[in-house]
Amino acid sequence: MRIVELLRQPRAELDPPRWLARSTVALVILMAAVAPLMSAPYVNFDRSMVLVYVVVGLGLNLLTGNTGQISLGHGFFFAVGAYLSAVLVENHDVPYLLLFPVAFVVCYLIGYLFGLPALRLHGLQLALATLGLALVTPAVIKRFEHVTDGQAGINIAGAEPPAFTGLERDQWVYYLCLVVASLAYLVVRRLATGRIGRSLIGIRDYEAVATTLGVPATRTKTTVFALSAALAGVGGVLYSFVVQYVGPEAFGLPLAIAFITMIVIGGLGTVPGVVFGAFFVQYVPQWTAEINQSAAGMTYGAALIVFIFVLPYGVISLVRWALGPLVSRIPGTRRDIRRATRAGEDPRELVVSR
Amino acid sequence: MDVFLQQLADGLMWGALYGAFALSIVLVYRASGIVNFAQGEMAMFSAFFAWQFHQWGAPLYLAVLGAMVVAFLGGAAAERVLIRPLASAPNHMPLVIITLGLMLVLNSAAGWIWGVQSKEFPSMVSGPVLTLGLVAISQQSLFVVAAVTVVAALLFILFQRTRIGLAMRAAAANPDSAQLIGVPIGRMLMIGWGLAAAIGALAASLAAPQLFLQPNMLAASLIYAFAAAVLGGLDSPVGALVGGLCVGVAENLAGTYISWIGHDFKQAVALALILGVLLLKPEGLFGARKVARV
Repeated sequence: MRIVELLRQPRAELDPPRWLARSTVALVILMAAVAPLMSAPYVNFDRSMVLVYVVVGLGLNLLTGNTGQISLGHGFFFAVGAYLSAVLVENHDVPYLLLFPVAFVVCYLIGYLFGLPALRLHGLQLALATLGLALVTPAVIKRFEHVTDGQAGINIAGAEPPAFTGLERDQWVYYLCLVVASLAYLVVRRLATGRIGRSLIGIRDYEAVATTLGVPATRTKTTVFALSAALAGVGGVLYSFVVQYVGPEAFGLPLAIAFITMIVIGGLGTVPGVVFGAFFVQYVPQWTAEINQSAAGMTYGAALIVFIFVLPYGVISLVRWALGPLVSRIPGTRRDIRRATRAGEDPRELVVSR
Repeated sequence: MDVFLQQLADGLMWGALYGAFALSIVLVYRASGIVNFAQGEMAMFSAFFAWQFHQWGAPLYLAVLGAMVVAFLGGAAAERVLIRPLASAPNHMPLVIITLGLMLVLNSAAGWIWGVQSKEFPSMVSGPVLTLGLVAISQQSLFVVAAVTVVAALLFILFQRTRIGLAMRAAAANPDSAQLIGVPIGRMLMIGWGLAAAIGALAASLAAPQLFLQPNMLAASLIYAFAAAVLGGLDSPVGALVGGLCVGVAENLAGTYISWIGHDFKQAVALALILGVLLLKPEGLFGARKVARV
C-alpha cells in the first residue's frame, strides 16, 4: 500500500539547467528527424500516428487538464479536419499544404461557436453536450452523404513528397507530422506555462475567485476551447494524410474516449505528458489486439480507472519521481541561479565554480 | 392524421423508456452529484444477464427480475468501490473519468463475453396488435408504458412514504447534516446507485426486443436519455419522466415530418435539445436553480 501512496503523490516539475533542457530537446528532435530514414513504412505509420495524437492531445490537455473542461467532442473536430482535407484535396484539387491553415481556422470558428453557448455551462453539462456531439458525429457524416460519400468514405492519395527531397511518401508525411507537432508543442507550452496558463488553472480550480480577480472566465474558456478544437482539426488533416482514408465509423465515441485516455495517462495538465499518452494510445491496443478484438476498449477503460486510482498525475509523475533527484543534483538549475542572485553573487560564476 | 397519432403513440412508448433511463441518470446525479456516463452500458450489460438467464432456462419474467437484482448489486458495488473513495475530491473530473472508463470496460466486456453479433431478445408479452381507434399498438408497447408507470409509482412511494426514502433524500440534499442526525450516507448512496442500475436493467430488457441485443444497442438511446434528463432538470425524477415522454414524441415526429432529418439523423434532435435547454433554461423544466458561492 505504501507504494500506491508514493505513486499517488504529485511530483514537482523537473528543473533542469538550461543547457541540459536545450540539449535534451535538440537530441530528441534529432532522433525524431533521423528515425524515419531507416525504418519500414509501417513503423513510420505508427510514429506518424503518435504525432497526430500529440497534436490533438496538446489542445485537449490545455482544455481539460489546465482549464478543467471535459470535452468528449474533439472527435468531431478531428473529423471536420480529416473530411475537409479529404474533400478539398481529393475532390477539389486544393493544394494539400493549404489544408493546415484552412482546418485550423474552420475548426477554430466552429469550436468558438459551439463553445460560446456550451461553456456558459457547469463542467458536467459541457461533458454532456460534447458527448452528444461525439454520438452524432458518424450520423452527421452520413447525413451529408453528397459531400462525404457517407458509409463508403473517401480514399486519399495526396500529400506526395516534392521530387527534390527524394523521400518516400511515408517519410514525407512523417516529417509533416513532426513539424506540425513541434509547432503545436511550442505554442501550447508557451501558453500553459505563462501568465495565461496560470489564469487557466485559476479557472479550473476556483472559477468564481478567478473571475473576481479579473480573469474573463467565459471568454478565456471559449478561446481555449476554440484553440483546442482547431488543433484537433489540424490533427484530423494529418490523420487523413497518414491513414489515406476517412470513413464515418472512425470518428465515434471510442475516438473521443481514446483522446481522454491519452491525456489522463500522460498526466492531466502537463505538456510533455501528452507524448507518453500518445505512445500508449497508438501502441498498447496493438499489443492487446492479439488477445481479443474487444481488448482495445478494455485496455482504455481499465487504464482510465487504474490511473485515476493509482497514478492520478499520469506517467509524467513517474518520470519526475525517477529523474527528480538526479536532475536536482546537476549544478546550474534555475533554483541555484535564483538563490545566487539573491545572495548578490554572479550566477554564472556559481555554475563555473562548481 | 392517423400517421400523426401512430407516431405519437410510438413516441410515447419510446419516451417511457427514455424516461426510465433518464430516471436512473437522475437518481445517480442526486446521490453522487455526477452524471454517470456508464449508465447506458450498465443497463446493456444487465440486459445480457437477462438474456443469459433466459438461455439457461429461466422464464423471461424471472430472468429479467434476476438481471435487475444483479444490476442492483453491481450498481451498489460500483458506488462503493469506484466512486466513494474519490467522492471527497475537490472537483468532479476524476469521477467523470472513472465513469467513462467503466463505460468502455462494460462495453468491451459485453463484446468479449457474448460476442458483437446482435441477438434476438424475446418480448415480455406477445399477442395480436391492438387497434385503438386509428392507432395500432403492440402489447409490448402497452407493457412498456405500464411497467415504467409502475416503477415510477413504486419509486414515488419509496421516496415519499418510507423512512429509507426520507433518509435517501436527506443524504442527497445535505450530506453533512444528514450524517449528524445518524443517516448512514454511504449506504444511502449505494442504494441510490443500485436502484438506478436496476431501473436501467428493466428498461434495457424492455427495449432489447426492438433494438436487438448487442454491446452498442443503447448508444443512440443514451443521447435521448441524457436529453430527457437535461430537459427535466438533472435532479428531478418527475422531470426525467416528463422529459423522456417529450423527447420520445419529439424525435418520432421530427423523424416523420421533417424530411431533412429523416430516420437516421434523429439523434441530432436530441443534441439540439440538450444545447437548447442548457442555453435557455439550464435548470430544466423541473430542476432547482443553483447559486454559486465563494
